Amino acid sequence: MTDQMPLDAGYRRRARRRRTEAIGYPVGALLLALALWQLIVAIFNIPGYLLPTPGAVWSTLTTQWQYLASESVPTIEEVLLGFASATVFGIGIAIAIVTWRLFEKAVYPLLVASQEVPQIAFAPLLLVWFGFGLTSKVIVAFLIAFFPIVVNTAAGLRSVSTELLDLAHSTRASGFTILRKIRFPFALPHIFTGLKIGVTFAVIGAVVGEFVGSGNGLGYVLMTANGRLDTATLFAAIAVLVIMGLVLFAAVSLLERLMIPWHVTQRTVETSRSAAA
Amino acid sequence: MRTEPSGVPETVSYEGVGLTYSTASGPVQALTDITLAVPRGHFVSMVGPSGCGKSSLLMLTAGLRSCTHGQIRIDGMPVTGPQPNSGIVFQNDTLLDWRSALANVLLQVELRGLAKEQYRQKALDLLRSVGLGGFEDRHPYELSGGMRQRIAICRALIHDPHLLLMDEPFGALDALTRDQMMIDLQALWLEQRKTVLFITHSIPEAVFLSDRVVVMTSRPGQIDDIVPIDLPRPRELHMTTEPIFNAHVQQIREIFERQGVLRSDSHAGDRQSLADAHLHGTDDRGGGR
Repeated sequence: MTDQMPLDAGYRRRARRRRTEAIGYPVGALLLALALWQLIVAIFNIPGYLLPTPGAVWSTLTTQWQYLASESVPTIEEVLLGFASATVFGIGIAIAIVTWRLFEKAVYPLLVASQEVPQIAFAPLLLVWFGFGLTSKVIVAFLIAFFPIVVNTAAGLRSVSTELLDLAHSTRASGFTILRKIRFPFALPHIFTGLKIGVTFAVIGAVVGEFVGSGNGLGYVLMTANGRLDTATLFAAIAVLVIMGLVLFAAVSLLERLMIPWHVTQRTVETSRSAAA
Repeated sequence: MRTEPSGVPETVSYEGVGLTYSTASGPVQALTDITLAVPRGHFVSMVGPSGCGKSSLLMLTAGLRSCTHGQIRIDGMPVTGPQPNSGIVFQNDTLLDWRSALANVLLQVELRGLAKEQYRQKALDLLRSVGLGGFEDRHPYELSGGMRQRIAICRALIHDPHLLLMDEPFGALDALTRDQMMIDLQALWLEQRKTVLFITHSIPEAVFLSDRVVVMTSRPGQIDDIVPIDLPRPRELHMTTEPIFNAHVQQIREIFERQGVLRSDSHAGDRQSLADAHLHGTDDRGGGR
């Protein structure tokens, strides 16, 4: 995508080294931290139910992987459904906000104010309304993923310069044409910022939803393992959640890279993307 | 598109045009009593201090804002909305980063709902005519400010408008690039003979390019004087140092001195330099990106 400009070999080599460093250093730091963890548990003789060693967590991960994998399925489902509906509604409402002044005036302040409400507090109520099934968790995930998407998309759609809009209006193009050809592509970098926050939030929403009331999912695994003081399983479930979050974030980033190769953040060979949540 | 009624020689006419807009601190009169006729095929520049409403006048002409007094007519028809028969170039190139040079030129065609394929060759020809042949697949961020502004000019011309509106199109470019753009714009104009309304801060630029220079006062913007420039064309850069050219520049400068916009005592000695000859103290706009 970005190799339209001639890059000399030295530049490529430096870029590759920067990329290797961007992955190598954090991975090294993580391994060091795990080693330290193992060492501290051994030295202070901390009992396993308080803090399991990384080795114990790893062995739980390998022996229990089938259980963890099957419990990941409902969680992933909730995250994806919540995130997808937050994306659709978030972008849709952002378009309505920048299109209809009345809608903006009436709804946008409410949306901002609603952020002062901790959406998670609604989880018990949603349980009452929608039951123990999938729906209540999807809605919690939706509620907290929605706001960053709508705010960032609205900001992006508004970031078009007056001159460019003047130019568009001089052609007598319809609002929809201007949205499709100018505003929406212009907003894409902002939209992806919102999506990257949103997907991370959706994972939180799904797990909290499962905490409140559920018969399956990784949140349920966390609750039951906690009840049994099975901290090794607890850490293993957390590890699975971290991996899930990273994979989803990486997927959104990849999509971003494919859709906006022209944007300034995507142009350089440097890995500016590695600033994960 | 429309055939011009015979007996109406001017493309654009302003009849007592004024613009007043309301602000928090009360109404502000931006323009008042503008009466002017621009004949078809003429190149007319407007110079004036910052905030004199010359950009507003251009927006009114484009039909993107409405005047509060008087009337503007284009080809005899009152301007009541966006003028399809015009093309606009702004100080910032306003190109779309995700589109190639060619696709940026074709944006105009797409927004107008015209068949893109039919304009492809014309867009390529236009790009070649401004020295961008072979650059049609490049993206704006790969090109220099001058090249980007050339693309913006092509975009304003692709639908073959009668009227070209230019709002300080070279204002964000460096002095050398400006000189080159002046020469190239003149060549393009001599070939196509559009009616051009050209807003600038640079007196030499206005003199070099124009048939007439409209000198405006500071707010509320009014026409102070109209200076005809009867230099032979094509004009060349070396002419800018000749006495006849400088006489015109001096004439306009004296109008600003009379207005009190320019004071000669602090600004003497650099009359010859094109780069330094922009109105002192009015270049308050930032450069490009």
